[in-house]
Amino acid sequence: MSTGVVDHSALKVNQTGIVLTVLVAFVGSAFWRPALFLVPLLAIVLLLGTFAPQLALFKQLYFKVLKPRGIVKPQPVQDRPEPHNFAQGLGGVFLAVSALFIYAPLLTGDFRPGPALVIGLALALIVAVLAFVNLAFGYCLGCQIYFQLGKRGLIRAS
Amino acid sequence: MSPQLWALAVAGTVVLAAACLEMFRSWRARRRAVGVTASPSSQPYILYFTGDGCTVCRTHQEPALARLNGVRIDKVDAIAERTLADRFHVYTLPTTVVMSPDGSALHVNYGYAPAPRLERQLAEARGSALRSAATA
Repeated sequence: MSTGVVDHSALKVNQTGIVLTVLVAFVGSAFWRPALFLVPLLAIVLLLGTFAPQLALFKQLYFKVLKPRGIVKPQPVQDRPEPHNFAQGLGGVFLAVSALFIYAPLLTGDFRPGPALVIGLALALIVAVLAFVNLAFGYCLGCQIYFQLGKRGLIRAS
Repeated sequence: MSPQLWALAVAGTVVLAAACLEMFRSWRARRRAVGVTASPSSQPYILYFTGDGCTVCRTHQEPALARLNGVRIDKVDAIAERTLADRFHVYTLPTTVVMSPDGSALHVNYGYAPAPRLERQLAEARGSALRSAATA
């Protein structure tokens, strides 16, 4: 099992980005329904960033803008990136499911807010809450799931 | 009621239910964690379950353990040492177990345990060891 160095400031910027984007989509949708387009957009950003780190929007914002200008100080920690990537991917999947719930009724021509919209919004909020818990308390649920799956031999956690 | 408020209620209920479930799992695992290890010591010591993927272990738990001067800390990889981890029902990382000198588990902390809590538990462990020695 090998460990590398992970800049935890990049993770925190990523989590902040998730929380803020979901909050803007959630609050904004109360006044302007199309603001919900931020949810599928965020899902795409997270999923792309999971498989291609150079496309991780918030992390790139940190590495290319915030860190060079000294706005956010680096916080390198001996750690492995895999659990964090897994957690990010899990967040992306949940947001993709949330987007499906939000937009599926629209595809059928039903523009009235219904239970599907509520479920979609609730899923997005849960992702934001988990990102906030990780940001504020350092508890990463996705990392714990990664550990449990590794323990059961369902993924290679080494 | 607007869909946003309904969503807030649903998400709040889910988060609350998950928090209650986590508390219950923690309580149940604590009750079951009554194992003994095969490595007794002259002083209380700590079994520290960690893993490569545990970030909180590195950022919080290890600095807290470093503040405990002169305490034996047995670091255990929870994935590699699965039998030992299962014995203490380790379901989350980090997990710290305060062991009495005879090798029995006195306190099990699931999740991050700050240094003052560990110090308090170690002091209790020292006290109970002294009482056992006095009655023996």
